[in-house]
Order: sequence, then structure tokens, then C-alpha cells
Amino acid sequence: MSFFTIVKLTIPVMMGYIPLGMAFGLLLAKLLIPWYYAFFMSVFIFAGSGQFLALTLFASQATILEIGIATFLLNLRHTFYGLSMISAFKDFSWKKHYLIFGLTDETFALLKTSEVDKDERERVYLWITFLNQCYWIIGSVAGAVLGNIVPFNYQGIEFSLTALFVVLSIELYKKNRLHKPFFVALIIGLFGMVFFPPQKMLILSLCLAAFVLIVFKRSMESGK
Amino acid sequence: MESSYLIGSIVVATLATYATRIIPFLVFRNREPSPLIKYIELTMPVMIMVILVFYALKDVKWESYPYGLAEIIGVGIAIFLHVRFKNALLSIFVATLAYMILIQNVF
Repeated sequence: MSFFTIVKLTIPVMMGYIPLGMAFGLLLAKLLIPWYYAFFMSVFIFAGSGQFLALTLFASQATILEIGIATFLLNLRHTFYGLSMISAFKDFSWKKHYLIFGLTDETFALLKTSEVDKDERERVYLWITFLNQCYWIIGSVAGAVLGNIVPFNYQGIEFSLTALFVVLSIELYKKNRLHKPFFVALIIGLFGMVFFPPQKMLILSLCLAAFVLIVFKRSMESGK
Repeated sequence: MESSYLIGSIVVATLATYATRIIPFLVFRNREPSPLIKYIELTMPVMIMVILVFYALKDVKWESYPYGLAEIIGVGIAIFLHVRFKNALLSIFVATLAYMILIQNVF
């Protein structure tokens, strides 16, 4: 797979990460935190919603322990992503630790849907993860440094991440020989959006999905 | 804000985030994946992706004007284009552009 093809794969994430990263950087600047903290947070934490949460907690002067617990709970969903990647990363070298570190919602989505030959997989996965992190770092530092001087109205561009998830849902639906999980997830997602509190919606819906998968394993595997 | 507070928080948030990502790899390090894990690897990704769509829409105000119409149209365009042309970049780009035009100029 050529480098150009890999970059093309990551463009939707770039369209989401740069503006979202900028929003994060802007917020950080509003809290009067120096811009280089945006850089360090995006390099080391590298979790979109986790970093926004950290800013909220900074603003309310939460203790470091509280920040640790809240971040852990918020990002617990990533455990499910890892669970789906165990076989995929199994034969990779030590570099897989960077892949595990960089397993965000969007990176997971791209890795899971990209079709790569086995011998190329490690290299391509590393590039995808690295490019995604670069977009996030560039966005967050730009937001923190530039503040509100942005030349065009990019309001709404973060919808590219929603569209990315829609497209990848369709891809995974077509790829999978079992179709029931897709429809069950539609119901759970809708239910979660309506009834679960927004901050906890993702982790609760994912737990519910895992629960349904395990309890109704036989029925999920039967039929189409 | 004190730099020791900020640095301490960043270190803790980094470790907490990394922990959530590495846990499954540590737990299943030395074992052959069981049939249950293989089943979860097969079925969970599509469920995660569909749920992420709803997660991305969780802050939409459905009960007041414009009743999430921009989001519904945007998602509809993405689905239609992707089923019809199977070009991910095209579907995402056009859907996003339509959404931006809708929220900036129409609603």
C-alpha cells in the first residue's frame, strides 16, 4: 500500500481531528493555560473526549486523583476496541505498543475497516495511527496558539466524524457474515441516545451491547 | 494554574488512558484466543461503530427547532452516497459539506 493511499484513508479523520483539536486548543487558551500544554496533552494523553474532560476538571480545580479516575472511566470504552484487536496485533513487533497507545475511536475505526495484506499490516497500521495523532497535535496546538483568528467559518466540520462512523458502519455490515449484531446495535444506540445520560451514553451502550452479545450468542450466530 | 498541578494531572490522565487501552492485551497475552473472544472480535466492531454514530449525535436537540434536521439530512446523504457509490471519501466529504451549509445558512 503506497503512502499516498494511506494518507487518503486518513483524510476523513484529518477533517475531524484538526477542527476538534483546534476547539480543544481554544478552550485550553481560554483557561489561560500555556499553549505547550496542548502539545504535551495531545502527545501523551491522545484521547479527544478525555482531553476535553481534563480541561473541564482543571477549570473546577479537581484533584489529580479525581482526574485519573474520571479519565479512566471515560476511556473505558477503549477496552472493547483492544478486545477486537488482539488477534490483529498478535504477531507484531514491540511497535504494537504505539498502536495500543493510539487506539482512539477513529483510529480503531480505520484499522478495523482497512483492507491490508498481512505482511504490510504493521507498517500501514503504524502510519495510520501516527498520521491521526499528527492531525490531532497540529489542530490542538494551532487552536491554542492562534486563538480565535481563523480565516474561514468551519462551524460544523466536526460532522465529518459522524459521517465517518456512518460509512464505516455500512462497510462493517457488508463485510460481516452475521447481520444481527448490526440491527441490535441500531436499537441499543437509539435507546442509549434517548435514555442514557450523555456523558455516560457510550460506555453504558457498549456494556449493554457486550451483554447482549454474550447472553444471546446462540441466537446471534444463527440465521443470517 | 500551577505547573506541578498541570504536569501531575497530565501524567495521571496519560496513564489512565493507556491503561484502558492495554488491559485486554495484558489479560489475553499468553493464551490462544478462546471461541468467545473470537466471537466478540467478529461481532463487536460493527456494534461499536453503529453505537458511535448515535454517540456522535448525542448532543442534538431533537425537541426544539430545527429538530436535528441537519443531522438527519447529513446522515441520510452519507448513507445514500455510500450505498450508491461505495466511495468513503466522497460520502463523508459531501455529507459534511451539506451539513455545514445547512447549519451555517439554513437553520
